[in-house]
Order: sequence, then C-alpha cells, then structure tokens
Amino acid sequence: MSAVYNNNQIKELGNTLLKIGSLLMSSGANSRRIRTTVERISEAFNCSVELLITHRALMISVYDSDENQFHSNLKRTSPHGVNFKIVSGISKMSWKIVEERWNIEQINNELNRLISLPHYPRFVILTMVSLAGSSFCRLFGGTIMDMSVAFLATFIGLFIRQESIKQKFNPYLCVFFASFTSSIIASAFVKYAGSIQEYALSTSVLYLIPGVPLINSFSDLIDGNIMNGIVRSINGLIIAFSIALGLLLAMQIFQI
Amino acid sequence: MDLLLFFEKGIWFGLAAIGFAILFNVPVRTLKLIFIIGAIGGLTKTLCLFIGINVILSSFAGSVFIGTISIFAAHTLHAPPMVFAIPSVIPMVPGVFAYRMMLGLMQLSGKVPENMFNQVLSNTISNGLNATFILLSLALGVAVPFLITRKETIKRINQNNKKNV
Repeated sequence: MSAVYNNNQIKELGNTLLKIGSLLMSSGANSRRIRTTVERISEAFNCSVELLITHRALMISVYDSDENQFHSNLKRTSPHGVNFKIVSGISKMSWKIVEERWNIEQINNELNRLISLPHYPRFVILTMVSLAGSSFCRLFGGTIMDMSVAFLATFIGLFIRQESIKQKFNPYLCVFFASFTSSIIASAFVKYAGSIQEYALSTSVLYLIPGVPLINSFSDLIDGNIMNGIVRSINGLIIAFSIALGLLLAMQIFQI
Repeated sequence: MDLLLFFEKGIWFGLAAIGFAILFNVPVRTLKLIFIIGAIGGLTKTLCLFIGINVILSSFAGSVFIGTISIFAAHTLHAPPMVFAIPSVIPMVPGVFAYRMMLGLMQLSGKVPENMFNQVLSNTISNGLNATFILLSLALGVAVPFLITRKETIKRINQNNKKNV
C-alpha cells in the first residue's frame, strides 16, 4: 500500500502533527505519549515520521512511503499549563483518525474545537481546590477550625495565582506570590488564634505542588527519555523551591 | 480502628483528588471515577499503615493500586490513564514531612543550642528523607503498572521487526 502525496500535502501533514505534539507537550503529556500519538496519526496517512521532543520545542521530519517527498519543521511549544481535556481529546481523536480515515482539514477543525473547550467556571475551580486543601488538612489530623483556615488560605492564594498568571508574570514568580499569600494568611491565624494548629499552615500551600511535572519526569526517566526527564524534574524542583521560599518568608515575618 | 473514621478518611481523599482533577481541567465524565480511585488508593495506604507497614511502602502500595485501576478505567472511559492516576495520587503527597524538614532547616541555619543540635539535625534528615522517598515511591508506583501493561507497543515492535526482516 503506497500513498503518493505532493509537496504541499506533506507540508500540511507535518505542520498538523507538530501542532498536535506541541499541544500535548504544553498540556502535560509525557514524551512517550507524544511520540506514540504522532506516530499513530502519521501511520494512518501512510507516512513515516522522525520526531525530536524537547521541553520547549519539537522537531519533525515527515516522509511519504516512497520517500520522494519529505518535510522538516521546528515548532516552539507554548508555555506549559496543565490541561487534561486536551490530552484526552487528542488521544480519542487519534483513534478516530485511524478508524475513520480523517483528512487533515477534519483534524485541524477538531484541534480548534479542543482548544476552544471551556475550562471549569472560575468559582468552581476556586471552591473545589480550596475544599481539596481543607481535605488535606483533615487527612493530616486537623480539626474543623484548621480546615476552615486552610480553605480560606487556599482560596485567596489560588485567586492571587490566577490573577498573576493573567498579568503574565514569570510562572515561578506566580507560584511564589501564591505560596506567600497563602502562608501569610495561615500563619497569621496560627500565630494569633490560639486554637489553630500548624497543620493549617503546612497544608495551605499544598495546592501548588508540581505533581504533573514530577510524575511525568519520573515516567520519562524510566522510559529512557533521560534528557526530558531531567528537564522536567528540574522544572518541578524550581516550583517546589518557589513554594518553600514563600512559606519561609511568611514564617520569618511572623516568627513562627 | 474505628470503621466510621476510616470511611470518613476515604471521603477526604476523594475530595482532594477531585479538587486537583478540576485544577487540571479533566473531562467531566471522568470526575466520578477519579473520586472513587482517589478514595480507594488513599484507603489502601491507610490500611497498610494500620497493619504496621512503614509509610514509604504504604504510599507505594497505594500508588501501585491507583496506577492499576486507572489502566482499567482508561479502557472503559476512553481517556489516557494519567488523567485518572495523577489527580488521585496527589492526596498522598507528604506535605507535613516536607514542612517539618523546612522548619528544621530554618532552625539549623539559625542559632541552635549546643545540646539540641544533634536532635534537630537527625529530625530534619529523617523528615527530609521520608518526604523524598515517599514522593519517589508515588511516582514509581504510578509508572510501574503502565510499564507492565504495554501490549500495544509490544505488538508494534514485533511488526516492525518483521518488516525489517
């Protein structure tokens, strides 16, 4: 089975594949998933593909089956923000492409639809994440009072983080602002309200933990993508460090 | 252990998982299952701790359990396994250990009375090591089931070998 493409078609396919790869990278998929998804789609088009995956850019070469036409390109990935709706949407789409023989235009339309899918309403995010913070507090042994302090601190901290992301600050700085706000609220309660225990303070910043970078870094490392694994783990460590810095500063201010 | 207290813990584990799921913007259809997976994983860890297994191995057991269920969940709900695994594993993160380690580091960098120094140092190191190893075991526990159940890719490697021959 051989498919003959002209130069423009190969070019379009290559650019779409790059777009898919960079979307996956910035919404928090690991390197193995990016590679299998891109290869699965290119196989459906009877093309072979070589892919170089790094944290901030992707490089691709697409060949048609006769190796008469080929196309190479490079694309920067947009700043990282975890979005599992896109990851699972693209995974579903890749199977549909194989089974229903989609053309490139259909893929592009579906990608645009996935990008425009709404996030959860802001109030829902704030409330549920704060509830998660107070659940943490309960799990580590806090009382109802500690839980409500953790709720309040998480709510305001996350709000600050969203606002500072909107102002396009450096992402690590956003984490620092959020962690500082949360811990200053929690430590004020711990210092001046007698019945609040330190659990409220230690769990009020947990919503910031870099879970996705750390778990992805580990699965990349085990998988043999050592470079990506190291880059991701250092990214996670810097986030953890920013959290610690905010916490430290607040604790120094209140002398806890 | 009080049975009621045990199940109450399950609810908190589930709620924490849901919170992170919403932060990561997962599809709505997966939310219910993430609650259940998070609760079961957390309860596995609690049960192991109750039997007397140490905290690192218990976290590992919980996360392996989560990784395994999320593979089955992925097949039924058509979403990648990591969508289920990552939010559910986060409630087990050792927040208090990390916090105590930081507290210890701050004490050590300031003035510590001569007779207290050794105790503060050993507490800090033990808390820090616990936090690190628990984090590692969580990541490893989620990754191991994926590595074991990779039938598709194995199939593809076989086909490629045949082509080359």
